Amino acid sequence: MTIFWLSVGFGLVTASVLALASVGLSLQFGVTNYVNFAYGAFLTLGAYFAWTVLTGGHLPLGLAIVIGALGVGVVGVLCDRIVFRSFTRSGFPLFYLLIVSFGVSLILGNVVQGVWGPSPQFFAVVSQFPLHIGPFLLTPAQLVIIGVAIVSMVGVHLLLTRTRLGKAMRAMSDNPALAQVSGIDINRVTTWAWFISGSLAGLAGIALAISTASFEPGFGENFLFTIFAAVIVGGIGQPYGAMLGAFLIGMVTEVSAAFIDPSYSTDLAFVVLIVMLLLRPQGLIPARGKA
Amino acid sequence: MAAIVFYLATVVNYFFIYNILAWGLNIQFGYAGILDFTYITFMAVGAYVAGVTSLGPQQPGTGVVYILGWHLPFPIPILLGGLAAAVLGLIVGLLAINRLRSDYLAIVTLSVGIILYSLVGNLTGLFDGFDGLVGVPEPLNGQVHLGVNTYSIFYMAVSGAVMLLLWFFAQRLRASPLGRTMRAIREDVDVAEAFGKNTFRIRLSAMVIGCFYAGVGGALLIGFVGAFSPDGWSTQETFIIWAILLIGGRGNNWGSVVGSFLVIALLSEATRYLPTIPNNAFLEPALRNIVIGAGLIVVLRFRPQGILPERKAHFPEIRTAAAQAGDPGRD
Amino acid sequence: MTDAPILEVENVARHFGGLKAVDGCSFSLQPGMLAALIGPNGAGKTTLVNLVAGALPLHAGRIRFQGTDISGWSPHRIAAQGLVRTFQISREWPRLTVLENLLVAAPGQQGERIWNALLRPGLGRADDRRLVAEALDTLDTFGLYAMRNEYAVTLSGGQKRLLELARAVMSHPRMLLLDEPMAGVNPALTDQLAHHIEALRQGGITFLLVEHNLEFVERSCDHVVVMALGRTLATGLMADLRQNPEVVGAYLGGESVERVAG
Repeated sequence: MTIFWLSVGFGLVTASVLALASVGLSLQFGVTNYVNFAYGAFLTLGAYFAWTVLTGGHLPLGLAIVIGALGVGVVGVLCDRIVFRSFTRSGFPLFYLLIVSFGVSLILGNVVQGVWGPSPQFFAVVSQFPLHIGPFLLTPAQLVIIGVAIVSMVGVHLLLTRTRLGKAMRAMSDNPALAQVSGIDINRVTTWAWFISGSLAGLAGIALAISTASFEPGFGENFLFTIFAAVIVGGIGQPYGAMLGAFLIGMVTEVSAAFIDPSYSTDLAFVVLIVMLLLRPQGLIPARGKA
Repeated sequence: MAAIVFYLATVVNYFFIYNILAWGLNIQFGYAGILDFTYITFMAVGAYVAGVTSLGPQQPGTGVVYILGWHLPFPIPILLGGLAAAVLGLIVGLLAINRLRSDYLAIVTLSVGIILYSLVGNLTGLFDGFDGLVGVPEPLNGQVHLGVNTYSIFYMAVSGAVMLLLWFFAQRLRASPLGRTMRAIREDVDVAEAFGKNTFRIRLSAMVIGCFYAGVGGALLIGFVGAFSPDGWSTQETFIIWAILLIGGRGNNWGSVVGSFLVIALLSEATRYLPTIPNNAFLEPALRNIVIGAGLIVVLRFRPQGILPERKAHFPEIRTAAAQAGDPGRD
Repeated sequence: MTDAPILEVENVARHFGGLKAVDGCSFSLQPGMLAALIGPNGAGKTTLVNLVAGALPLHAGRIRFQGTDISGWSPHRIAAQGLVRTFQISREWPRLTVLENLLVAAPGQQGERIWNALLRPGLGRADDRRLVAEALDTLDTFGLYAMRNEYAVTLSGGQKRLLELARAVMSHPRMLLLDEPMAGVNPALTDQLAHHIEALRQGGITFLLVEHNLEFVERSCDHVVVMALGRTLATGLMADLRQNPEVVGAYLGGESVERVAG
């Protein structure tokens, strides 16, 4: 029983990391209508940015996290402005954007490799004593991850429901043609979507690096599949679906690790994905305007 | 002198193998429009299966463990490698083709690749896990007994023959009514379906044939290198095949030849002219990949159909007697 | 007209979430008819075409073609029976030549079988000799012969309309389901298309057209199905339907008839 609750605690941490990442991916997908395969590299960049600020700049962790996350937001906007938009503006078909984002992933991943080298790094906060919270056993850093995820999810919810920007994002996601004629500034909304998506990816990357003890170039790309699983299970392009998918996949992968060899926990996420695709391919919360 | 010969033979062997890999992806994507983002996984399966069907029984004491352990004569391991990849392609295709939009297929294929990578790495009993297979015997060298340099030239003839055979069938498929219908499916799957084409079955066959090519390519690779491990099939490797296909020109098998020549030249030669940057050994391979990624993006942006775009099909025009009686040139 | 019907639509329904796009639609058509499906926007005409062609699954009802129940069949199976549809917007295969667009449409090609394609290319070439001749004749008929070796994407809007019809003819249909074949074309081309459709009907093909051009419907069609709010409102001849108060109320009366007919 203790092991069970322990793994539920880890599940909450993984679900938090996944929620940050999945919601970011979903927001951008909803607005632009193509999947960004460079998203895994965004996570990697977030971790390295924050680590560099923390160890090189000797700034407090909180500030390092914020700078790291916003830095990836800027990277997202730059990728969109320099690369993706020149393709969308000229009306290139979908597959070009998928391949191009694949190419951007290769470029960013190798920039990380070239700048920081291949050896693993780690955040000093990892070696903290765990605390008993109810039945769970969590380190302060893990608690911060869960807290950051909850705050971010509430923030995304408020953004989508209370702000003009958020409503414009939802409109573009539901019906791009209608959004265009109804006076929404598509360029501005797209830029914000990339910034928010990148920032959430950065946060997720930092959280992932802290929760998995060490990180190396490519660790974000390896996590990308789990993000895809969460996003597809929840319903692609749906931020709320992504939250639900993140919770499910996070729990499945961690709780299962109490019973089976942990090396296979991501494979289990894949089984969930396959079952979903067979039974309910549109995801738990199907998106309007996406088929 | 011998070193240069060996080097050239190595480069040519890679060139042949990359041609085969690019043609397989061309059949999947250039012909039928399937976004297979884990193409390299099928190459890996071909390599592993060819490896375990030519290695012979496990040697105690080496610590290298694997399934089967057959010692089959050339070219059966290569054929089995291709078939194993084709069977895996069939399974993935059954799961993923026809399920919603093409980016779902891309995601699913990518996921399958990552899962198989993890399974092959963790289930050490299959193909020796992350350490990989080593000491795979050189095909036919039991019969011909050649030295390293001469053998690499001999192997060039072997892979060249396989390449020509696969070229023949890729071109034949392209020119066939099936190839034409595949291209129609690529252009608009709903309309092809509305004209009575079983688009699922046809796309599945493109997937399976392409995977067979990938498997044969992998089998030739492990026969040449003698070893194969999960390091050899990262997502980046898939991207390199995609870059070859798209830079060269999708839909055109000659384009793939141009693409693999350029990419191989870049991978093996170009970075030699970079100034050496001290204390950073990782920079050179990283720069190489950055150049490939950026090169592909630039080609796609400014020459979307690639260097050698798909060629128009022309048919010998035999008119019916009725039309010839009238005016066949009438507009 | 007492033959067995070629197409029978019985209480067909389809909803999208809460929206009942087609809600109990029934009618039947005799072989050789040139029938029109009319109705105001949002009546469910295109959804009905998609249901008949198998592109959308039915939620209720059944559809029979030449006496065979085709409810729930996949689109390619329905097309192989000889019930072929076109799309509301022209959907040529853009990077196939005009000639290839027609060749692909031909049914039952031996060279489409995988082993024939790889091992017996002669079978495909023999088919092609026959099909190329047929396709060139068809292109000639539709005035597209000069464009035969151009990519279909380079055709003008009107030429794409003609290609849609030529390609459908090439599939040897028993019945054609045309979704607004004259949408957005100029009057001269409308006449040309009407002429082709009439000629094909003489050749034995049954037609069901979704059409907004009521002038054409009245002049050429010998049967009209009126849909409103997902249901069949009335069927019969256009001249009779103009007297039907329900039809006039739902669709034909007042300004809407001016707008759509003008």
